[in-house]
Amino acid sequence: MNTTRNQPSARKFWSWFIPLRRDIGSWAFALNRITALGLTLYLFLHLGVLGLLAQGPGAYDDFLVLTENPFIKLGEWAVVAAAILHGLNGIRIVLTSFGVGVTRQKQLFYGFMLIAVFVILIFTARMY
Amino acid sequence: MSQPIISSSASGPRPGENTWIWLIKIVTGPLLVIVLILHFIVNHYLGSMSSGLMTYEDVVKYFQNPIIPAIEILFLITVVTHSLIGLRGILLDMNPSRTTLKIVTWLLALLGVSSVVYGIWLALTIASKGS
Repeated sequence: MNTTRNQPSARKFWSWFIPLRRDIGSWAFALNRITALGLTLYLFLHLGVLGLLAQGPGAYDDFLVLTENPFIKLGEWAVVAAAILHGLNGIRIVLTSFGVGVTRQKQLFYGFMLIAVFVILIFTARMY
Repeated sequence: MSQPIISSSASGPRPGENTWIWLIKIVTGPLLVIVLILHFIVNHYLGSMSSGLMTYEDVVKYFQNPIIPAIEILFLITVVTHSLIGLRGILLDMNPSRTTLKIVTWLLALLGVSSVVYGIWLALTIASKGS
């Protein structure tokens, strides 16, 4: 067994961004990481925007008009989709962390992603 | 890839990640899924805008129930903690030196505490707008 296989390195850090020609586990890993980074960035942008509420109705409601812009709306949709994908993929990780479904991770992943697509479709129907 | 996520073994802390810190991230995850879905429903279904988003008036009215600022503050603490522990976990993949990791940890802690203090101030400010 190669004991250095799971040791972190800067080169390996960048490699997970592109899981092409790799197994489903790599895709699950990349999905979890990319959505995590996007959601973390959004979280702090969101907190900043919510600061407009402290400035009164003019500042906040004027900003809300921007949310009708199709590009902003698409961004909002991407945030909702990323959160649902990250959350449900994360539940699989939690389950396996506690020894549940460890030998059925692929099935768990496909199952949770199916639920994620269904929930995303519900929110998409509401948003558009 | 540094650590295959779908393998025959259970998931666990990354190399260099404290088990308790990892456990906080793991426990806050499912909690966030529930709260986040409620957050989406409130913000995309209950608002008075045609898209379902909440206007300023909607938000102020919503925050008049004292349980709401409390829930929002707990939500903020949970989401900030989860995201910054997660971000630190990702950075561990770059195999930083002990000194770099210490600096990163302190910076993330500072960012987390500042965000929570700001969020508490904001929640209380919004709640006070209706009084």
